Amino acid sequence: MAYSEKVVDHFNNPRNVGSFKKEDEGVGTGIVGAPECGDVMKLQIKVQGERIVDAKFKTFGCGSAIASSSLATEWMKGKTVEEAGNIKNTDIVHELNLPPVKIHCSVLAEDAIKAALADYKKKAEASTNM
Amino acid sequence: MEPAQRTASKRTEVQMARSMCWHCQSEVTGEYFCQQCVKVQPLSKELDYFTCLGLPRLLTIDTARLEAKFYELSRTFHPDFFQNKTESEQGISLGNSALLNMAYRTLKDPIRRAEYLLQLEAGSAKDIRTPPPADLFEEILALQEDLEEFRSASSQQEATSLGQLRTKLQADQASLEQRQKDMEARLFELFMKWDSFQDRTGQDDRLRAEKDPVLKEMREILSNRTYLRSIVDDLVATTG
Repeated sequence: MAYSEKVVDHFNNPRNVGSFKKEDEGVGTGIVGAPECGDVMKLQIKVQGERIVDAKFKTFGCGSAIASSSLATEWMKGKTVEEAGNIKNTDIVHELNLPPVKIHCSVLAEDAIKAALADYKKKAEASTNM
Repeated sequence: MEPAQRTASKRTEVQMARSMCWHCQSEVTGEYFCQQCVKVQPLSKELDYFTCLGLPRLLTIDTARLEAKFYELSRTFHPDFFQNKTESEQGISLGNSALLNMAYRTLKDPIRRAEYLLQLEAGSAKDIRTPPPADLFEEILALQEDLEEFRSASSQQEATSLGQLRTKLQADQASLEQRQKDMEARLFELFMKWDSFQDRTGQDDRLRAEKDPVLKEMREILSNRTYLRSIVDDLVATTG
């Protein structure tokens, strides 16, 4: 099955590839994977105030997984932590025109977003309690 | 095509064939052929693979018995023996052979057998699915990053770092393979545990409460094993 144009674009020119130091202040890290296809996805956010000022990802997997996480970082940048929590996998499916067999890639990206946000919140709470 | 399809009776013996002959509508008493008109009978599509091959729903199976039954039924249904028969009979022979081959392939391999059993038991097991441990993801990610580094070192022909990376990745591979073996050993322990439940009568809540954790652990092992296998494949393909 051919990938959609948008998937190919993200695959060839992935946005925001890279990583932040996990320990840095305001950084939230989400690492998720799909055992069935062997994919693994790392998504990180950098938060200042309540806003996500930067996002990075690193994905080892198929084109759709890479495109889903690339798109996720694009969408998260500039959003507040709360707004980013509202990104749904169905939005990613819609934007990238993912076929039914690739929907799990978008689910993985949503899981990664949630995991990164949760990690950020956990760290923020821990530092205010200190 | 198959008017008798919906009239399944409650036969207690192994229900290989439909209860009514698709051809002459008489009651089928033989297992695979109608005794009135001698037409071959289609195996029910709802038949599970264990029943199809005359085995109890157990995870440790008698492979000799499995093979013997498979060969016996293969001969019974083989399309070659139906070449001079009607189109309907040829179709049934083909359908039965396909089901039989699938059943045999699935049950012969212990991993596929376990996956199939989990699928059969999914009604109760799907609610107890848990995601793989987060540290496994981190480990896979770190390995993938090392692999990436290895690939780039190898394309730039950096002999020193290439050698070091290769040594490290080969050690990783060996330890991952050992973990796969450990997982399989544990899986076979769970096979025995699962099978021991089948000897007990009654499907009460207490038995269910004992069964579910076994199903859950099997599911986890199978899923983590798949994950490890794919990274080992990557390691072999890159450094091998």
